[in-house]
Amino acid sequence: MLARLDNVTKRYVKNEGIRDLTLGFPAGEVVGVLGLNGSGKSTLLKLLAGLLFPTDGAVTVYDAWPRRNRAKLVFLGETDALWPWMTPREAEKFMAGLYSDFDRSRFNELLDALEVPRRKTKSMSRGERGRLRLAMALARNAKLYLLDEPLAGIDLLSREKILSSIVQEWHTDETILLSTHEVAEAEGLFERVIFLKDGRLALDAQAEALRQEGKSVVDAFREVLS
Amino acid sequence: MTDGNGWSLEMDAGPIYVQIGVRVREQLACGDLKPGDKLPSARDLAARLSVNPNTVVHAFERLEADGVIETKRGLGTFVREDAPVANMREEILRAAAERYVNDVRRLGVLQGGALAALKEVWDAGKAR
Repeated sequence: MLARLDNVTKRYVKNEGIRDLTLGFPAGEVVGVLGLNGSGKSTLLKLLAGLLFPTDGAVTVYDAWPRRNRAKLVFLGETDALWPWMTPREAEKFMAGLYSDFDRSRFNELLDALEVPRRKTKSMSRGERGRLRLAMALARNAKLYLLDEPLAGIDLLSREKILSSIVQEWHTDETILLSTHEVAEAEGLFERVIFLKDGRLALDAQAEALRQEGKSVVDAFREVLS
Repeated sequence: MTDGNGWSLEMDAGPIYVQIGVRVREQLACGDLKPGDKLPSARDLAARLSVNPNTVVHAFERLEADGVIETKRGLGTFVREDAPVANMREEILRAAAERYVNDVRRLGVLQGGALAALKEVWDAGKAR
């Protein structure tokens, strides 16, 4: 297993983010992490990124606490923390200084594919900033990509460009976990889908197996989570 | 999830790998694809359709096992020169006929009425 959670619970001050979750992720899987707001999707991805520490249980990436393998994982969070004065050129320098696996030429190819304008982020649209952030994340040569809502609040054309870039960039030995509300648009990308409900695992299924039963992932989502 | 070039997919109409196989057969049957034609790479087709590249690879493997396409090392994937296009046309025609017959049978229409309606619509289409 590339990454795993063993009986993981994450309790916040007031509520539980994740309850007793056990999951394994082999290398080379594209996984959809699906659920309603507050179901624990972000908590799950942050635990795997080592940005949160479990209250109970163990989270491991390559058999170690995720932070020890930070170089092998990419986390793309929901918060847009780009400096307003930053241009894609400066973002490139910033990322290359921070991560030795950052591939500058891949980054520039991604900027072209995602049609990111070469100007300061403060004069970019939300979709353009989202595409820039995705280019920064995908230009790293990691093994585990944790993409938290990369499609949220972004226009339809940007969402299509993002999905198509993920398909183009994905290497078959890399694992991607992608959380999204845009289930219908993204479902074709997923080999496996994980549905969370109130911090618990509601369903863990192969997408093509659901379709074999005549259900789309969207249908299964409605069935399991309503 | 739809694409202008005959690749449209439905997420609730069975496995995607099966649907891609059906789309290839349909395109062959109606001549949009011909024996010897090169197919898009699995990666490019996956990106176009927003589906996982492994799913397209799976579809191509099935088509290859069925003698429809072949992979030439380093060159890409091609429709086989001996792909059974006549069989595919026959199968699709038969399936369409079965759908029509099932629909009109539910109305209690007999063969004579069904054929007459078919002919009428056919001739009207030709006149246009």
